Amino acid sequence: MSACGNPATETDVLMERRPKFDKSRDCVKCKTNRGNIVIRHAVYCKECFTPLVSFKFRRSLEPFVNELPQGPRRKALKASGDLLLAFSGGLGSTVLLDLAYQAYFANRHEEDRTENQQGGKDHPRNAPIWPKGSICYVEICSAFPGMKDRTEKIRTAIASYGSLDFIPLRLEDAFDNSWWESVGGRPSPSDLEVDLSNEEIFISFFSKETIVDPVTSLRTFLSNLPTHTAISRAVPTLVRILLLYTARSTGSSHLLLGTSLTSLSVSLISAISQGAGFTVREEAQEEWASLDVPSPTRKSVRVIRPLRDIGMKECAILCWWRNLNVIGKEKIPGGKEDIANLTKDFIVGLEKDYPSTVSTIARTCGKLIPKAGSARKCILCEQPVQQGIQDWKSRTSIRTLDAAETTSDVIEHSRFISPYLCYACHTTFTSRSSRGSMQSGTTSVRLPVWTGQHLMDAQWEGTNGDGGHEQKNEVWEKRRAKEEDMKNIIGDFLLGDTST
Amino acid sequence: MPKTCALCKKSRAILKRPKTGQQICKECFFYVFETEVHNTITESKLFQPGDRVAIGASGGKDSTVLAYVMKTLNERYNYGLNLFLLSIDEGITGYRDDSLETVKRNQEQYDMPLKILSYDELYGWTMDAIVAEVGRKNNCTFCGVFRRQALDRGAAMLNVDHIVTGHNADDIAETVLMNIMRGDIARLGRCTLICTQGEDTIRRSKPFKYTYEKEIVMYAYFKKLDYFSTECIYSPDAYRGHARTFLKGLEAARPSAIIDIIHSGEAFEVSEEVKATQKLQQTCKRCGYMSSNELCKACTLLEGLERGMASSGITERARKRLEAEGPAPDSLRTIPFFKPPSGNPTVTIEVPS
Repeated sequence: MSACGNPATETDVLMERRPKFDKSRDCVKCKTNRGNIVIRHAVYCKECFTPLVSFKFRRSLEPFVNELPQGPRRKALKASGDLLLAFSGGLGSTVLLDLAYQAYFANRHEEDRTENQQGGKDHPRNAPIWPKGSICYVEICSAFPGMKDRTEKIRTAIASYGSLDFIPLRLEDAFDNSWWESVGGRPSPSDLEVDLSNEEIFISFFSKETIVDPVTSLRTFLSNLPTHTAISRAVPTLVRILLLYTARSTGSSHLLLGTSLTSLSVSLISAISQGAGFTVREEAQEEWASLDVPSPTRKSVRVIRPLRDIGMKECAILCWWRNLNVIGKEKIPGGKEDIANLTKDFIVGLEKDYPSTVSTIARTCGKLIPKAGSARKCILCEQPVQQGIQDWKSRTSIRTLDAAETTSDVIEHSRFISPYLCYACHTTFTSRSSRGSMQSGTTSVRLPVWTGQHLMDAQWEGTNGDGGHEQKNEVWEKRRAKEEDMKNIIGDFLLGDTST
Repeated sequence: MPKTCALCKKSRAILKRPKTGQQICKECFFYVFETEVHNTITESKLFQPGDRVAIGASGGKDSTVLAYVMKTLNERYNYGLNLFLLSIDEGITGYRDDSLETVKRNQEQYDMPLKILSYDELYGWTMDAIVAEVGRKNNCTFCGVFRRQALDRGAAMLNVDHIVTGHNADDIAETVLMNIMRGDIARLGRCTLICTQGEDTIRRSKPFKYTYEKEIVMYAYFKKLDYFSTECIYSPDAYRGHARTFLKGLEAARPSAIIDIIHSGEAFEVSEEVKATQKLQQTCKRCGYMSSNELCKACTLLEGLERGMASSGITERARKRLEAEGPAPDSLRTIPFFKPPSGNPTVTIEVPS
């Protein structure tokens, strides 16, 4: 790793490759069996491997089950609500589902409980940690032509986990007011439409008169994003919000994601590369509370990634040994050259040669905190917004010679939403590729259903002094001053004919 | 049909700006390039009127453009700075010769005093001699450690308050990624700072912190500034090479990636609990330079070279072997004791004729 040679030109400058395992071929745990797998230079046998993975899973999850953190005395585990498991059909979520089911739901039936349990079967100690569990799957096929609907395939695959409910969602639900109302979202009096052709992201239309089908809205939204990177960020953002509101509406106190150590490292580097360093902590774990409920009554959902210490290789071998069927995740088409994919290729490639790097990335990012507090949340992704983003952007990358000038004549009385977006979401909407724009050219793009209400709330908070430091007064309104308007103001001071 | 400049809306656009993708004219490009550097300088209050500032000049594109832009901005905005050129000669045959000529030409063109300090003069070793001793593995460690200290020492000799270097946005984004990947929390915390200052060292700044490498080349091209683009013949750092290739891929996917990474790096910091576990800075007992241990890294490396055990500064095992051989002999050649700026230059500066 510390070699200073250039491997492309000089083959002799590379460090000697370390042996795949440190000491003997015997399992480092039981020290008797012949090893079956090497995990970061340590050898494990099949018998010791499964309990080890299960231990890592519990170690990442159980300290965060109780609402208040464990004190010096260990208390029984009891969640304040139900459990929602996110399932994509990929490797991580397949392992997550199996581990969670085996640990917390498999022996739930009355006949399985014996009178011999410590304290009897009705003792609080023997009560389940989560009264109820559900599996949520978000189908993304409507977003891209030619993609197959896999909902039924997923339903069949998880049928063996009978005691868990199945909640199928669709990506277009993000644009469906009936879904929004079904999860308890406050109906907004108007839908939010924006013009993505401008840096400031003007709101060009703010009415609910026209009813647009959610699939069309979703496709228009995605096709107007400027880069493949933007699309591959927007889809997980929508999925995340769909999952969070579903968790809240099902009374779930915990939402578990099947992010393995490898995928966590990928998402951390990818987020940092897209400007989301301020929310790097939330990439690993977050406590989410909906923006549309007043603070004192907000009930939060804890988002946990219990596989964050388990690498992709460990997940794969566990699936193989436990004979789990991995359906596979549907890939977003056309985006091989986007930041998320490039990062994935880079990290997975690095993991092969330097297996410790992925855990170093996750551990390093775990030591980071945001530099300043945040008073607001992004209206799109609902993550904290850093102050001064627009100032920073205009200072470091000048995009206009005259700040007062706007580019369009038709923006009269329009407003803009850039102050209400986090850095990464604003960049998603505005950062263009050097190879030319991918945007379809539609002038107005409808934003997801939650954004309209969140924007109004943010504006209200701003006008009532409860908002961010930066925009605590009003929604900015920018328009090019017309000659007649100017004349109206200065008309009394003009003498005679002043036409130019 | 020719495109009109996206900024002035008058002239014909002749270039696509790498940072924003906007199609603009040459004059607007100069304006935004220089104004962004000026914004960086003023926003972080880098200088005081009357400051003596050394420009770390290697003769490469970054430092050549930096010298030109610093001179331009100093005159345009009346910063009131006394500018110097400071060059380090690592002693690599065929690598520095041409670029030092560029620096000497810059001295004439920009009318700035120049000081060239060599590794040989300071440490008694040239990089050619070091490579002959240690081979091509790990030689970047020697060069990097020696260069940093040499710049500080050269600046102390010139009695300057401040060193500015040509580190650009690409360098900084790459360092952010690299420090995350190798878990270097201490460096991660400070690599996005525009200005760093050790207890006894001179302030160091990076006015090109937000400037894309491609735009520096573009600026040099349109301004007809000549520079030498020589790659070090003693092989680049392989690990940095991995990070650089990855970063170039990200930039190709979305040009804002470089500035976005810098924004990320500025948005987070190392938590207080972690900071508390980090080593406190002290002074090297042998040469007086800032250090995390009793001996600074340069003295450790130099001792290894002098005692014929060059790898003692690199690996733990070699260090133990060196310690087992007993303390350093009194006759050991060492780096002269570091004296912070005293008020007067202690060296003769080459003033343009």
